[in-house]
Amino acid sequence: MSHRFRTSFATVIVIGIAGCGGAKVTLHNPTIPEPLIDQLPLSVMARYPKVFDNFVHEEQVIGKEKWSIDLGRSNRLLFTKLFTSMFTEFKVVEGDVDAQDLTFDALIEPSIDAFEFSVPSQSQTDDFAVWIRYRLKIYDQGGVLIANWPIAAYGKSQSTTFGSDEALRRAAVLAMRDAAALIILQMDKATGISKLSHANAHETAMPAAPSTEDITLQTAAEEIPDETG
Amino acid sequence: MKQASRSLPQRILVLALASTMLSACVTSRVENVRANATGISEGEGIVIMAKSYHLGNETEAKFITCVGNSIGSGSSGLRVVPNAEFVDALFPWFEPRTAPAETKGLPTLMSRPGVAQKIKDKGIRYVVWLDGDTDKVAGGGSMSCAAGPGGGGCFGFAWWQNDSNYEADVWDLTGLEDVGTVSADVSGTSFLPAIVIPIPLIARTQSKACNALADQLKLFIVSDEAV
Repeated sequence: MSHRFRTSFATVIVIGIAGCGGAKVTLHNPTIPEPLIDQLPLSVMARYPKVFDNFVHEEQVIGKEKWSIDLGRSNRLLFTKLFTSMFTEFKVVEGDVDAQDLTFDALIEPSIDAFEFSVPSQSQTDDFAVWIRYRLKIYDQGGVLIANWPIAAYGKSQSTTFGSDEALRRAAVLAMRDAAALIILQMDKATGISKLSHANAHETAMPAAPSTEDITLQTAAEEIPDETG
Repeated sequence: MKQASRSLPQRILVLALASTMLSACVTSRVENVRANATGISEGEGIVIMAKSYHLGNETEAKFITCVGNSIGSGSSGLRVVPNAEFVDALFPWFEPRTAPAETKGLPTLMSRPGVAQKIKDKGIRYVVWLDGDTDKVAGGGSMSCAAGPGGGGCFGFAWWQNDSNYEADVWDLTGLEDVGTVSADVSGTSFLPAIVIPIPLIARTQSKACNALADQLKLFIVSDEAV
């Protein structure tokens, strides 16, 4: 009986120590609900980088645990869901397809500039926090870069409520939802994407010279500062 | 056998008495400030939300769940729409970044496509915004524990004081107005004396604040008293 007690006690201690050693968290199907918005009357295509098919980020807390988060195809799912809701026509262009052969109003190339997270042992709180810096490059039918827009998204979740793995997963989902909300709210204002439909119509009528509006739009897009520094 | 069956209720009684005696004391203050008349009809419900963490709010998710469960329970319980269901249904307008911080943002929110209809479909009359948290404000004492092959034990005495301060701001989605606030301020000191075995005397301030706030919110919303 005494031996069994000692064995149980030792097991509890070992499990307790192992429990402090970080974790590998997977997120393959983030909950991105159908947004309550009016669609923009645009034909949009998106081309995703290869990293959107298998995104894994690792974070080594100095002198402590190692954490990793595997987002799998979550970013692809996020942007596909989002753009399908935002635009009247949306298609994904695979990497080997030449966009010159396709007809569209805008081609969007999303990418991840940076992914970071903090765990409770770093922040000295109960919170897991996730920061994602996305970048959206928008091209017109002629292949001209219309906008280069950085987006900084943030999500936070408490470990005491959901447990460590679930809290990190939830913080990542909240960051992705934050990015989606930001894109819905500010995309047209920041990139002027809705004007591309009119630009196409204008070019069809007067193909000889670019309009002043197009030139202004390109300039504005180039001047958008990288707020992430 | 007969003796064992008699001892079970006695043991339960002793345990109940012990747990009552061993819980530490808390002091609480609950207040409400009414700005407009309230009232709730059959079929109307409420949703409990945390103020955005973008505004520096740290309200614990378990506290929000606790308040929601307390308001929804009992014979006088109100219909509480789950927080996640509401936020998903109105995506992206109640995300931490986009949720309205003041009632003056409500007319714009309600004019967005599908928002007013979705709120009507869900039967939501009030949104309750929770703000505040539970903090350890003081503590002291010392305790040491040791364990070896022959056993273990703790000796010493520790104490700490927790303050739970929460405020609930109630918005009426029918009148698009702030109808008032309910606040709960609960303070308590926990003790942990140990002579071989630690005996925790815990002041459950957060739980007390949850129940006090929920009870007062129920009265506040149901009451049809004029301002």
